[in-house]
Amino acid sequence: MNGFTHLFAIASQALKRNRVQTTLAMLGVTVGVCALVTSMALAKGAQESIREQLLAAGANMIVVTAGNYQIQRAEGVSSPADHGSVESPSANPFVAHGGVSRLGQTRLVSRPAPRFIKAHFEDDPMAIHDHPTASDRLGDSMAGLGSAATLTLEDAETIRSSIQGVQFVASGVHENARLTVASDETKQWFTRLHGTESELPVIRRGWTFPYGEFFSQRQVANNDQVMVLGRVVADRLFGQGIDPVGEKVLLWNQPFEVVGVVGSRSWASQPVAGDDQFDAVYVPVSTVHSLLNLSKLNTITVTTKSAGETTNIAQLIVSLLRQRHGISDQMPDDFIVKSQAQELLGDGLSPELARIVAGNLATMDTLTLEQLSESLQRANNTMLILLAAVAGVSLLVGGIGVMNLLLLSVTERTREVGLRMAVGARGSDIASQFITEAVFLSLLGGLLGTVIAVFVTMSLEGIFRWSTEISIASIVIAIITAAVLGVAASVYPARRAAELDPIGALQHE
Amino acid sequence: MPVISLQNVKKIYELGDNSVHALGGVSLDIEAGEFVTITGASGSGKSTMMHILGCLDRPTEGRYLLNGKDVSNLPKEELASIRNKQIGFVFQGFNLLPRTTAAENVEVPLLYSRPPMAASERKARAMEALDSLALTDRAEHHPSQLSGGQQQRVAIARALVNKPSLILADEPTGNLDSKTSIEVMRLLQGLRERSGITIILITHEAEIAAYGTRIISVRDGFIVSDTPNTPVTAALNLEGEPAAEGALA
Repeated sequence: MNGFTHLFAIASQALKRNRVQTTLAMLGVTVGVCALVTSMALAKGAQESIREQLLAAGANMIVVTAGNYQIQRAEGVSSPADHGSVESPSANPFVAHGGVSRLGQTRLVSRPAPRFIKAHFEDDPMAIHDHPTASDRLGDSMAGLGSAATLTLEDAETIRSSIQGVQFVASGVHENARLTVASDETKQWFTRLHGTESELPVIRRGWTFPYGEFFSQRQVANNDQVMVLGRVVADRLFGQGIDPVGEKVLLWNQPFEVVGVVGSRSWASQPVAGDDQFDAVYVPVSTVHSLLNLSKLNTITVTTKSAGETTNIAQLIVSLLRQRHGISDQMPDDFIVKSQAQELLGDGLSPELARIVAGNLATMDTLTLEQLSESLQRANNTMLILLAAVAGVSLLVGGIGVMNLLLLSVTERTREVGLRMAVGARGSDIASQFITEAVFLSLLGGLLGTVIAVFVTMSLEGIFRWSTEISIASIVIAIITAAVLGVAASVYPARRAAELDPIGALQHE
Repeated sequence: MPVISLQNVKKIYELGDNSVHALGGVSLDIEAGEFVTITGASGSGKSTMMHILGCLDRPTEGRYLLNGKDVSNLPKEELASIRNKQIGFVFQGFNLLPRTTAAENVEVPLLYSRPPMAASERKARAMEALDSLALTDRAEHHPSQLSGGQQQRVAIARALVNKPSLILADEPTGNLDSKTSIEVMRLLQGLRERSGITIILITHEAEIAAYGTRIISVRDGFIVSDTPNTPVTAALNLEGEPAAEGALA
């Protein structure tokens, strides 16, 4: 330790004597390290942002819908679902046969000219309705799209408690409803009503609350008449930019108090009229049950702890529900389990993203979110490599600056080296002095660069709204890089100094 | 036992096909407490002798005993350590580190002590050495803020800081005016008288050589004369010079 403080004393003395050169050489390292830390922060931020966006868009979400239906592919002729006459999986690709149905994907494969459907396909006026219409399925327990009442609160509870890897479970009932502003009955809006639980915001990760918040667990337990408006609904009923929290809205002639407005923070799903998330209102499932005297659920929404397990867990849910509903092996499910990509492509995925996905993948059957995330990640990695290359070049320049300073200083300080040798310094003492100087210089430059990088990334985040994240690891890497740079840059000058002949050095002019 | 014993020391430089005999075979004993001045014209070999005596260079042939130990064939590292402990150098050009305080300059040899010396002890010993040369109030000055005489005194303090047995002074007055030269010579004389340190001084000026107790002349790599001398006392020249008195105090 003494030896080190010693070296440090010698080196800092020498550095102090050449302030201008020291500062300039240090700046080189500072710029390099700053670029390195900043680019790492940007890359990490982009990674996080992609992950967040995908999760926000529902990457780890599974939706269980009551009822089941299938589509007969008979040249545009629609007929009610008939599970008795299931022919083969290829002829009836929509059959959810003890597995995950692949609704969105098969649509693309089976149509001659695949088209992307922005929201729910019933909303598309140009679509050929090749599925049962509402009138076809009314009253038919096998004719689903949520109209059948086969799911119960107990189902939700069992999924919550018995399947590992499940993160959150929210049960839901869904209705169409007419809303009226209590204070101004001319303001009306016909929209989707979701009866749900207080966990929903943690499931829908892409939600933000511009006004108020989601209803609480206690409000659900008390069957309170409270309501959260989707962004679109809030804008239609109260106007844009107006805080409706505390206002009363009439639903089924009952007053509901608005407690919050929900918007999206994901580019993968933006509020538009007609969508299921933001052109919708949310009320406690218990309130819906008690007001309408219901006990069944339309949907159970499940999130998994990791996006990679979603398919697996979806299958577990299928077998669990089949068992609970007492469905024999020959019978089809009385519910639909949809996960991941099907959900995304079915609704919420922006057309741009859908086009990228479809353009990149030969068949939609192979689409997984991992692949989607991978292709985004690859683009991001290219960017990262570019940034890292720039940072590497600036570090290299910084290193050359340090080496230049040291070489210059070896020449300039030849007499000093001679004197130090005359009074007893060994070659190794001289070498370690120069190396210590360089490392000290680079470390100082590195620390300064890190501090500046923190400010730079903070302003990038603040001004351009880029997502950045400075990790401890990147700081450690930067500091180590700086130190290694110092050593690397100083080896040659230090050797030259150490090999000087004291007599010649002392006579050097 | 002599402090220094050179036994038929030769130094030969090979320059292409020619070999230059810088020292042609020098034998010399110097006892403790002597003040030896070595004179000679440039190219006489006195500098080469100085380098060998100072363990900065090794003889090509012959033996060099320093305090009874043969140092003629020691590796560089051991020579460095001998220079550090046993020899104090004073140079013509002072060789003080610029932009470094007098105290820090004096400390330099202590930085290379083995085992390493604690910072507090280094400081204390540097101040002690400066004290002994009446430079206490100049300890925090940079060389550029000091006169030539003061700079050379700082350099002498640096030579003394490790308490060597031998001081090697290479033209110590070469960059000084005559008055300051006399001050420095008196200072060296005083040191020898008080502490009994051995001093070897190289000069080409006869006046300066006259301050020694023994004068050796070198020419063409050989000792041509080696005579005891009654040292000049420059007291007459320094009458009424308080600075010089202070320096000797």
